[in-house]
Amino acid sequence: MSSLRQFEPLALPCMEAAFNLAFWLVRSRADAEDIVQEAYLRAFRAFDGFRGDDMRPWLLAIVRNTAYRWLSNRRRSGTVISLEEAFAEGSGQSTDDIASDEPTAEERLIGAAERDYVLRALAELPPAFREVLVLREIEGLAYREIAEVTGAPVGTVMSRLSRGRGELRKVLTRLMGKDEPNAM
Amino acid sequence: MQCERARELLSPYLDGELSAEERRAAAAHLGECRSCSAQLGDFRRVAQTLAEAGREPAPKALTARVRGNLARAAHAEPTPTTALISKPPRAGASSVRRALLRQAAVIAAACVLSAVATWLATSSLGQQHRLEQDVLAAHVRSLLQDSPIQVASSDAHTVKPWFAGRIDFSPEVKDLASEGFPLVGGRLDYVGGRRVGAVVYKRRLHIVNVLMWPSTSAGDVAPRLITRNGYNLLAWSRGGVDYWAASDLNAGDLAQLQALL
Repeated sequence: MSSLRQFEPLALPCMEAAFNLAFWLVRSRADAEDIVQEAYLRAFRAFDGFRGDDMRPWLLAIVRNTAYRWLSNRRRSGTVISLEEAFAEGSGQSTDDIASDEPTAEERLIGAAERDYVLRALAELPPAFREVLVLREIEGLAYREIAEVTGAPVGTVMSRLSRGRGELRKVLTRLMGKDEPNAM
Repeated sequence: MQCERARELLSPYLDGELSAEERRAAAAHLGECRSCSAQLGDFRRVAQTLAEAGREPAPKALTARVRGNLARAAHAEPTPTTALISKPPRAGASSVRRALLRQAAVIAAACVLSAVATWLATSSLGQQHRLEQDVLAAHVRSLLQDSPIQVASSDAHTVKPWFAGRIDFSPEVKDLASEGFPLVGGRLDYVGGRRVGAVVYKRRLHIVNVLMWPSTSAGDVAPRLITRNGYNLLAWSRGGVDYWAASDLNAGDLAQLQALL
């Protein structure tokens, strides 16, 4: 089928972003894999309706919708995944790919600990904040593109990001057990 | 600028999404307010951490799975999306190959089933088959109930008006008592995805259901006999109406009724 030849070169490069968004929304690698597969099939079937040359926001919007549908199904079926489980199952990354320039063991430990706290804090945020932060900080999307993915106006994206960053900072402060509000 | 207003601008400032004027004002405030610039520093640091370590890497096999799903989807368009999703093997490494093979077999079976179902559903043969099934089901259902009819009358002039307003055409109702087919009554049924008229006749102890609905084919069609599960079904079209007679009556008597209607 000829449309498959047009679809794949545009869609496959978005796979990492698609999986990352799905993972951060459902916080399970296994579910994120299923969601990405389903989203790609949906995207392929809706491909005729796609206009333009940057597929990422369009495809991520489909991933997001698919993930939310899964979440509401999971809620209905009463399966609840705790944050701890999500993280135990979670990241397959090794801890030493964050630091650079020959860090000392101590610096490495601090870096890893901080990274852990940041990821944990992000996972605790409500989905509306979590998704804009993932799209902005990890995927580097512009506000206009985030608006396209989430279906919210740019002004809403801006205020959600602003509040989301504030909330993330609060959670971090709590998690790290420091009461000085400006310290991280 | 007040801190309250400046804090609203920190996030878009960091993202470079402020107008030139707002940007200048925010920068001026940050230059003189330690608390706000500390907060911006926190935002920046978290942003950097997330950019470096926030990405959850996709499994290496995912691309291959997605491509496999897409290839199947491109060939079998009407299969439901969820049936095309391949599950990663989650068992131990030793059983991975067996699991993959089983998976492949299930997918292949699902594809075949779906293809056959699609063909049956779309082909006229399948439609014919379904229609026979529906007619037979309607007949058997009528026998299982306390009464095969909703309006009981041996008078055609009672039964025929009963259908008015209940279905969108006027079915043929005749009293054939003198020919040995007394009229029992009429009811509504559901066949081939539409509401149809059912007129019930009797032949000795046998019940005959004559189902009818407006025909989709132009012109008359000569009666043809189908035998299913020991029942005789006789189908014909006349005057823009499709008729299906169903009964355990013998084919000869059924043909006689057809000739009388």
